[in-house]
Amino acid sequence: MTDVREETRPSRNGQVETSHHPETDPQRKDNDYYGIPPIKEHTWTWEIPLYFWLGGIGAGAHVVTTIARLVGVEDQAFLRAGRYTTLVTMLLSPVLLIMDLGRPERFYNMLRIVKWRSPMSMGSWALSVFGGLSGLVATAQAAEDGLLGRDNFAARLAGAIPDRLMSLLALPFGYFVGAYTGVLLATTSVPMWARNAVLMGPTFLSSALSTGLSAISLVLHLGDWGERRTLESLRKAERIALVVESSLLAASLIRMSRWGKPLFSKKLGPLFVGGTLIGGLLAPFALLSGRESRSRSLLASVLVLIGGYLLRYTMVEGGRLSARDPQATFTFARKENLPLREENV
Amino acid sequence: MATGFLTDTTVCIGCKACEVACKQWNQLPADGYELTGDSYDNTKQLSGTTWRHVAFIENPRKRRLTGDVDLVALAEDVKEQLPGGAEIDALGRWSFMSDVCKHCVEAPCQQACPTGAIIRNEFDNVYIQPDVCNGCGYCVSACPYGVITRVPHDGRAFKCTLCYDRQKDGLEPACAKACPTDSIQFGEVEDLKVRAEERVAELHAKGYTNAYIYGTPEVGGTGGIGGNHSKFILMDEPETYNLPRHPFLPQDKVHQASVASIVTAGVLGAVVAFAFGALERGAR
Repeated sequence: MTDVREETRPSRNGQVETSHHPETDPQRKDNDYYGIPPIKEHTWTWEIPLYFWLGGIGAGAHVVTTIARLVGVEDQAFLRAGRYTTLVTMLLSPVLLIMDLGRPERFYNMLRIVKWRSPMSMGSWALSVFGGLSGLVATAQAAEDGLLGRDNFAARLAGAIPDRLMSLLALPFGYFVGAYTGVLLATTSVPMWARNAVLMGPTFLSSALSTGLSAISLVLHLGDWGERRTLESLRKAERIALVVESSLLAASLIRMSRWGKPLFSKKLGPLFVGGTLIGGLLAPFALLSGRESRSRSLLASVLVLIGGYLLRYTMVEGGRLSARDPQATFTFARKENLPLREENV
Repeated sequence: MATGFLTDTTVCIGCKACEVACKQWNQLPADGYELTGDSYDNTKQLSGTTWRHVAFIENPRKRRLTGDVDLVALAEDVKEQLPGGAEIDALGRWSFMSDVCKHCVEAPCQQACPTGAIIRNEFDNVYIQPDVCNGCGYCVSACPYGVITRVPHDGRAFKCTLCYDRQKDGLEPACAKACPTDSIQFGEVEDLKVRAEERVAELHAKGYTNAYIYGTPEVGGTGGIGGNHSKFILMDEPETYNLPRHPFLPQDKVHQASVASIVTAGVLGAVVAFAFGALERGAR
């Protein structure tokens, strides 16, 4: 500080260098407007990253149970764990989303129109359909488990739900719920998110699957439920899912390049590198690759779940830091970074 | 008929009448009394409760004075020669710019809005219907100009309406009405475009070759969003006024992102099928 002053204002009498204001000193190199961000940071609070995580778990668990059943897995404990996991997440998700609204009492306006190009509009519809269908599947499961009582009207009605068909119908919507959260972030003007437009959805979807697998695995291991070979399949699926997620995340970081800086900032760096990259991907992969034991599987599942949450959290908060940085927006809003629309450029 | 603004920053005197007129007409609350020390700009930026904002840019780069300078002589006598006989104090140029919602031709906020609260009204202005908005906040991140914010105690998002109510009654917006130098002009977009081009040609003829129009796809960028209904005549780089050089339409990427997600969904489905199916076969 003092050095700059000495340079610009020599103390010798009569030698003056004029400058109206220190902020507009001619020696200043940056070209922003008093450091005020040119775009606004998002207004979302803690509910949103938590929903991104929970919604992903529910979607992932549904995808896993539905596809596993398609290829012939009939392990009841496994199906039960997956369906109830999805049910719990789908009960919490709308609550979180409505809580975050500025006018929660108007939440139903989300289903006022269908807008193909608005990920939030399509996501609201997908979440509603997926929540409804997976709720029916879970109800059928509850009837089978005797939770609705025996031989009463509700139980018979729930028992009549074609759960297999409902699961299949819900599958594309489940995928959508897992992926759209990433696309929703990517199709904004926030440099860190927009830069990674294509891979944001795939990254979130792969994280949805890995956290969904881990949630089922955690429940099964906690209760000592499930057939041995189902657990073995889960382990295998988790390992491959972690590899896919790591590759997508690595590609995302390369794509984000300098605009991904917030992820490695003082505030988010420890969470992202320690919690997601090392704690949520590398460590669980190592745990799942080695000797199999209940405690190792439990630890791996917990680590993947924490890592998945931290991925959502650091991505959402990283966008906040990115929006606060005027230079990030200015350097990103350049001709060479525009999406493919040459005719209008 | 599409209406819009033309803000000619070369004749703006920084009086902030537009800010005041906007606040009064639209009954917007005060934002506090913070003194920023950033020139005369204590408003800082556009927000849900500030729909006009005058930026103050002190530009001392015009001429650097070093060595033995007599400040009195400088103030009284020393003039810098400018083209066309114009004279300016060698201490620098002080520019002002009254910022406002750009009313994009392809508005990212409107495309993002999941409730359909943000519409294009009959004047082709981007308008938020306050009775529909549920305050999801998605438009805040979508706007490439940082215009929209969610107002904390209200919960909904607000921005310039281009005085929809006044236009309905055949009046021009409050800011344009209040502007004493006609720096803010209101009219049909096509007329404004012609007027802007004429003004820039005039400025170029006077030697101010750095004047340009910001907000039309052909000149001055903003092609990614098809141009703006609020145009500006600027003399400096867009970044100096806190404007992005080439804003883009984020929703252009929805298609690519969807395809990539569908491919990933297929791969992940195959992973699960393989992990469970292969072992099933192995067990049999």
